Amino acid sequence: MRTILGLLRLFFSFGKWLYSTSAFTLVVALLLIVVGVALYASQGNMATFSITILSGLLRAMLLFLVAAGLSIIFGLMDILNFAQGAYFMLGAYVAYDFQHSNMGVLRMGDSIPDPNLRFVVGVLLAIIVGLVLGFVLERVLLRPLYERPLFQLVLTFGVSIVMLEFIKGVWGTTPNSWTAKLALQDAQFELFGQPFSMYRLFIILAGFIMIFAVALLLRRTRIGIIIRAGVEDDEMVNALGINVRAVFTLVFALGCMLASLGGAVAAPFLGATPSMGATFLLAAIAVIVLGGLGSYEGTAIASFIVGLAWATMEQFSLFTNIGTVLSSTTPMLLLAFILLLRPNGLFGEAR
Amino acid sequence: MNRVGKFLKENWLYLTVLVLLILLPHLIGWATDSSPLGVQRGDRFIMRGQSTYWQSVFIELFALAILVMSYNLMFGFTGVISFGHALFFGGGAYITGMTLEFMGLEPTLGLLVGVLLTLGICGLLGLTIGLATLRLRGVYFAIFTLAIAEMVWVFFGRFPATNGEDGLTLKSLPTFIDPTQNRIFLYYIALAAFAFTFFFIRRLVSSPTGRVFQAIRENEERAKAIGYHTLRFKLFAITVASTMAGGAGILHGILNKSARPEYLSVTHTVDALLMTIIGGVGTFVGPVLGAAGLELADVLLRDAKLTLGTTVINVGESWNFLLGLVFIVVVLVFPYGIVGTWHRWRAQRRKPK
Repeated sequence: MRTILGLLRLFFSFGKWLYSTSAFTLVVALLLIVVGVALYASQGNMATFSITILSGLLRAMLLFLVAAGLSIIFGLMDILNFAQGAYFMLGAYVAYDFQHSNMGVLRMGDSIPDPNLRFVVGVLLAIIVGLVLGFVLERVLLRPLYERPLFQLVLTFGVSIVMLEFIKGVWGTTPNSWTAKLALQDAQFELFGQPFSMYRLFIILAGFIMIFAVALLLRRTRIGIIIRAGVEDDEMVNALGINVRAVFTLVFALGCMLASLGGAVAAPFLGATPSMGATFLLAAIAVIVLGGLGSYEGTAIASFIVGLAWATMEQFSLFTNIGTVLSSTTPMLLLAFILLLRPNGLFGEAR
Repeated sequence: MNRVGKFLKENWLYLTVLVLLILLPHLIGWATDSSPLGVQRGDRFIMRGQSTYWQSVFIELFALAILVMSYNLMFGFTGVISFGHALFFGGGAYITGMTLEFMGLEPTLGLLVGVLLTLGICGLLGLTIGLATLRLRGVYFAIFTLAIAEMVWVFFGRFPATNGEDGLTLKSLPTFIDPTQNRIFLYYIALAAFAFTFFFIRRLVSSPTGRVFQAIRENEERAKAIGYHTLRFKLFAITVASTMAGGAGILHGILNKSARPEYLSVTHTVDALLMTIIGGVGTFVGPVLGAAGLELADVLLRDAKLTLGTTVINVGESWNFLLGLVFIVVVLVFPYGIVGTWHRWRAQRRKPK
């Protein structure tokens, strides 16, 4: 009895510590735990370990691209955009379709014979599609609903369903795997004797650049100052003579664009599948809740934690008998624990 | 006037509909010349003919209507939005199914235990999720329910004991409620559950507790300032709603004689949300009308083809897409739904000039 009580007391004091400790300590602790589990899961094999960490970083970058828009949009306009996952998926489908002219629907890719150039154009196309559709969603569908925030949430949810069904209707329900060859994809480098595709490394680097680019945009430009001021108090910004609604539209469209860029660059290794939208949306929601709703720094750091944890769990489920259940539910499990133990996230303010 | 007379006067429309629904299998049987019990072969009945077909449609409808009404209790009356209501719906089917199949009890007892377990677990689960997230802003509850529902959906899609994607087949269902042998009994059970839910929600919402629910929906800060412990009221609404959704799931599971991962998928949450909004958020009849309208439309239009110029749209295949479009249009231009719009129209006509 006494031991049980002692354990309970320990558990509660742990919870209290989690609730009150500084974000920095928690980040370090979480990263240490994740890396420790990754070491254990790779059973001391340095090659497996480094590949796990690299795949985790890759995941983290894709997650960041979906979550950054989600987080800034939420901070600025108090809308959780449930359609963000659908934009990610749409980006993947557009890039896939442009690349594979023989099985695509648009059949436009043939005009560019070089596959590498075609891929670049496909990604640009995905960016444009995301930007335009994001603009349409905010301007046409969400703007009439600013008086009724509950219905905005419902509407983005409805839009995500429509986009998913539209994609299923146009491209079919079966997953499409990427078959085209890109020069960057074929190039490999070795790490402790394990090959790793140059393309993935490129995505990781590009992701780091994106994180700093968005941070620079938010910190060092006039529009970024307006956005950050809007996150604090949008009515005040409006009173200062700045058209906040126009900033809302811009940020919303940019957020959707980032998600669809993420989908497009993920397509060469994830393919284009109808389930990827929901998977990445939930993981991205886990990211922004862990980081603290509306905090950009929190989102960037949390994407690393969630991405690494996800890849680690995938590695972990390879050698245990738990199967794939654990790895595919990792983001949601993480989300559940965060909401229970530290609901304001790492960098969020109590609201 | 005495109490019975007053009750009759207030509820004559609902009671008429109830009587019609009680007679429905026989009416359809009489109109289409088919027995409501099915076709007799030896000492068994085979479910064939129009009457038994429409019975199954209506059992499905009742299950959906209960789900939608429970959703409306949270969303329409209390103002708490959940994106994971399918969790309780599918969970209900799975808990009952697993009790029946794995506990090895005698079928009737097993069903009873399963139903009690389902209602208890669903209520408790709703309460726990509410406790964990309702102290925070409303959006956390939406996120958390969505995450839990997706997690459980993924889990049962891969759980070997319930056959993963294929789902669990209910083999040891007691004969008296088995829809392949005695469908009319299940019809009446479903009708009773539906009528009970309807009148229960009406009673609950008209009670002082229900008034507090609506006060929370309109302005939670004000309800708090008046002195109500709003968290307790929200938790109560969520517990009741999750229990009811679990019950709807049991009916759905028994009708299909299975518990499949699809029951947990987000489609059922969308259905509940859409039917609530189309029928009228925060009205009593709205969710029922929404559920009936969409379910009947689904049944009747499944094989229909829509021709627009040269393109032929197969309605059954693009059903979810069309539903989504209807959803967006309704939220934008028709936010009070059928019943809500009707109330407003009447209120405007009654206004003295």
